[in-house]
This record gives sequence, C-alpha cells and structure tokens, in this order.
Amino acid sequence: MGLNPRRDAGTDSDDRASRRRLLGWLSGVGLFGSGILSAFSNFVFIKPRATYGAPQRFTAGKPSDYPDGTRVALEPRRVCIVRDGNKLAAISTTCTHLGCIVGLSETGFACPCHGSRYDQDGTVTGGPAPKPLAWYKVSLAPNGELEIDKDVEVNPGTYLNV
Amino acid sequence: MSAKKQSVLANVRELPSNLWHSIFRNPLPHNDVERSATSFTNFFLHIHPVKVNKNTLRPIYTMGLGLMSFFLFVILVVSGILLMFYYVPSTEQAYDRMLDLRGSVAFGTFLRNMHRWAAHGMVAVVFFHMCRVFFTGAYKRPREFNWVLGVVLLLITLFLSFTGYLLPWDQLAFWAITVGTAIAGYAPLIGKQIRFLLLGDASVGQEALLRFYVLHVALLPAIATLLIAIHFWRIRKDGGLSRPARAEGKPELSISVQAVELDPKRTYGLQGLVRGPLVKVGNVPENSVYSWPNLLIAELFALVVTLAIILIVSLLFNAPLEEPVNVMHPPNPAKAPWYFLGLQEMVSYSAFWGGVGVPGLFVLLLILTPYLDRSPGGVGLWFSRKRLLANTVFLTFVIVNIAFIVIGTFFRGPNWSFVTPW
Repeated sequence: MGLNPRRDAGTDSDDRASRRRLLGWLSGVGLFGSGILSAFSNFVFIKPRATYGAPQRFTAGKPSDYPDGTRVALEPRRVCIVRDGNKLAAISTTCTHLGCIVGLSETGFACPCHGSRYDQDGTVTGGPAPKPLAWYKVSLAPNGELEIDKDVEVNPGTYLNV
Repeated sequence: MSAKKQSVLANVRELPSNLWHSIFRNPLPHNDVERSATSFTNFFLHIHPVKVNKNTLRPIYTMGLGLMSFFLFVILVVSGILLMFYYVPSTEQAYDRMLDLRGSVAFGTFLRNMHRWAAHGMVAVVFFHMCRVFFTGAYKRPREFNWVLGVVLLLITLFLSFTGYLLPWDQLAFWAITVGTAIAGYAPLIGKQIRFLLLGDASVGQEALLRFYVLHVALLPAIATLLIAIHFWRIRKDGGLSRPARAEGKPELSISVQAVELDPKRTYGLQGLVRGPLVKVGNVPENSVYSWPNLLIAELFALVVTLAIILIVSLLFNAPLEEPVNVMHPPNPAKAPWYFLGLQEMVSYSAFWGGVGVPGLFVLLLILTPYLDRSPGGVGLWFSRKRLLANTVFLTFVIVNIAFIVIGTFFRGPNWSFVTPW
C-alpha cells in the first residue's frame, strides 16, 4: 500500500535492510515478551499469598464432651465429630460434589443441593458425588483437647483411640 | 468571505445560532444530500451507513433483538453506576445496603428492580438474538467472525450475570456462587486454580465478594463494551446485515471497486481500498432507503419498547432478596439463577460432564458453526429449506437447553428430587 515508499523503492543497501530487519525482530520479541510477562505477572498478582479465611487447624473440646455414639456436626468448621466406643474421628461435611454442606440424616449424610447421599462413614450411596467425604486427622493436644487438622486427610476408618 | 468587521453586540446577538451551528454542522435534513451529510457528520450517527437495505428494516427479519440487547446493556450500565453509589462490597455491609436500597434510598427499590430485570432480560434477549442469527443463516461468509464475537459476548453476558448474582450477599447468592465456582473446579488441570483465583480463598467469603465486585463493575463491562463496539463495526465492514441473495443474473450493482486491480506501488485514497458495497452517484444500491430517518426511527422504536418493558416490569415486580447469608445452612434445594438451572440439572447427573464437558463442547461447537457449515445457501431467510439440517440440529440444541432449564426450575424440589409443580 505504499506506507513506506523508501523501502518499496529499494533504495536501501542490503546492509541497512538487514540491520533494520534485526532491529524489527528485536523490537517485536521485546514487545511480545513484555506482553506475555505482564500478563503472567497479573496472574501472580491476583493469586493471594495469604488467605483471610477460617484457619484449617483448630481445637474442638475434650473427648469427654462427646459421649459414646455421638454424631455432631460442628457447622462453622464444616466437620462432623463421630464417636464410636473409644474411637473418635472427624468427617468432612463439605459435599464432594459441589461444595454444599451435607446434613446429618438417619442413614448418614445427605446433601440438599443435588441429592448426594453418604452412609455413616461418608461412603457415597447415591447421587452425583464423585468420591466419599474426607476424614481429617484428629489428635490430642497437650492440654487434652482434640485437635483437628483439615489440611491432613486420613484414610476413612482411621480413628483416634481415647 | 470578506473580513467584515462586526460589533461585539452583533456577535453576542448571533451567539446562540453560531453556537448551535458549531455543534451541529447540518440543519435538519430536507433532501437526500443533506440526509447523507447528516449521517456523515454526526458522531452518534456515523456508525450508520448513509443508506440501508430495506431488508434490514423488516421488523420480522431481525425483530430488533440485537439492538434490544445493546439497549439493555446501556440500561444496565446506567442503573449499575447509580447503584454503585450506595453499594459496599463487604460481607458485613452488603446485605444491609440492600435493605437500605429498599428502605431509605429514593428510587432504590426501583433502580435495583431495573438492574435485576434488565439483567435477566439481557441474558434471554442475547440468546434469542443468537437464535435469530442462526435461523436466518446470517453467520455465514463473510460474517463468520462476527458470529464468534457474538458467542463470546453471550458468555460475557452470562459471566456478568453470574458475578452480579453474588453481590446482594443473601442466601440465594451465596449458595449459587458456592455451587457455580465448585463447577469451575471440575475443569481439568486448571480447574482448582481457576476456582482459587476467582474466590481468592478456599471458600466463598470476603475475598470472593470483592473479586466478583471488581469483575462485575469494571473488568467485564470494559471487555463487553470493547467487544460490542467491534461487533457493531464489523456489521458494516462485513457488508451490512445479512439479506437474501439477489436473483440470479442480476449483477450486484453496489459492488464496483472490486473489479479494479490494486497496484501495490501506488498510493490510494480511502475509496480505492474499500472493497465492500459503495454508494456512488448514479450507481445506488438497489432496494435501499436513507438511514435518516428510516433506520433511526426503527432504532428509536426498539429503544422505546425495551425501556417501556423494563420500566413496567420494574414497577410491577420487586427483585427478590432472601435471608442474609448463613454459611451453615444451604437452602434446600439450593438453586442457581434460572439461566444456569439447565447447567445445574445436568450437574446433578455428573459434575464433570454436566458442568464442564458438555457445556464446553456446546460452546466449542457454537464457535465453530460458521467454519463447519460453509454452504452459501439460505442466507437471509427464516428457516430456509436449504438449511433444514443445520436448523434442525440447532433447534434441537435450543429445545434441549430450554427443557433442562424448565426441569431444573419447576420439577426439582428438596434434595434435588423430582417433584411435580402442580
């Protein structure tokens, strides 16, 4: 289209043309690279390093607070404390399907959002849930309280003996 | 013009009319040249062609759906900016601000109604606009990429609705977003990261509210505005709205320059480069009328109808506001907004396939439509016989979508079990 008549007319020496080519390439790579870098930095920026939500590790009272046969949901913590004889465990009440809170039902757990059902141990018995409810690590803190760590999942059926 | 000296008094006397003429270069047009000049010189009119094909103005052809989508967007921008004066994106305050809007802000309820109903309306109208474009074959060459832009705009419309849905911070909002972002988490490989970036935390909370607010009031509207501008610009660059092909044997009078070979070493004016339909003296495109006032009146009509519907609906119905968020108790059933209920219904069968796999495939097929269906026939006619297969496939897609939405809306009760609405 004749935007640059000098180049079209072929008056440049080969030397000048190749230098111009090189500079063009370098500018292009520089600009494109900066674009990619800044796009990437934006993602780094919006990914928080620290979160402000509830802590994942917390204490939940003494074992004696939960008599034999207890199944009680600590709702703000989204776990259910289960006691069977001398054995204690903490089962997640966050539905593995889409993150709703499952409620306690006669047969175990039931999710109000999409109808997933679990048995007493959190094994899926119906609905769209893809995997069983998580079991979290329970330990005794030095002061005798139960300590639940939601960052550490344990195999279903792993109890703490008290 | 002779530099005749005028008294300051005379200047002052002529000031109103001089001011007027400096703003509007042309008087109201009375003949065709002035009609052309008006379209040319007015900033707001210059996106129009000077003349427009009569087919474009047939109400039954476009039904004004594209324009209505745009006007709804404008209504949303205006009402949204006004609502921003009172809204605070904080989990502590957001819900109280909703109550304030209802209770103590002048026109607060009304503005919120307008914003809510226009948002619902925009999702529906954009979808119907897409149906219109498909059933008239308007996505075909040379309008393929404008169709792609349209699909992206549909997705942005949905994402705008989705991000706005959280802001009232009521039960409906909280659980719909909990479920919606969990669906995003099912995307392969990057799902978990996307979810974390969206929420800014492990679960829906203050960070998520702030992020959705920023997306809703700044980032997404900016992207939408840019894409809408390109969408409009391309309508003209792609030769105006689609219309039926001309009868065979009759040359396309309006296309004239294309025959001329362009010499790469010469410099051309604009006219030499424009390859689309050109308006030339004595070589006028057939079957066309002046945009002023014909197209303008049609647009004004669409605006008035859109505005009237939104105003009436906003006067009659109040936007819902449920209980404040209780992170311990999801409502039963917890339902997404209606346009996502088809998705939620599919998700109740399989989270990955219903929430990511099938919708992803749908979107991919939509985007690829103009590149898969290359046959030139049937453009510009509703339900052309030449496009029986394509139209049947698309109609099936539309009916299945609507059916899933209807099932999700009316036939699902507590625990997402099947109920009959009667």
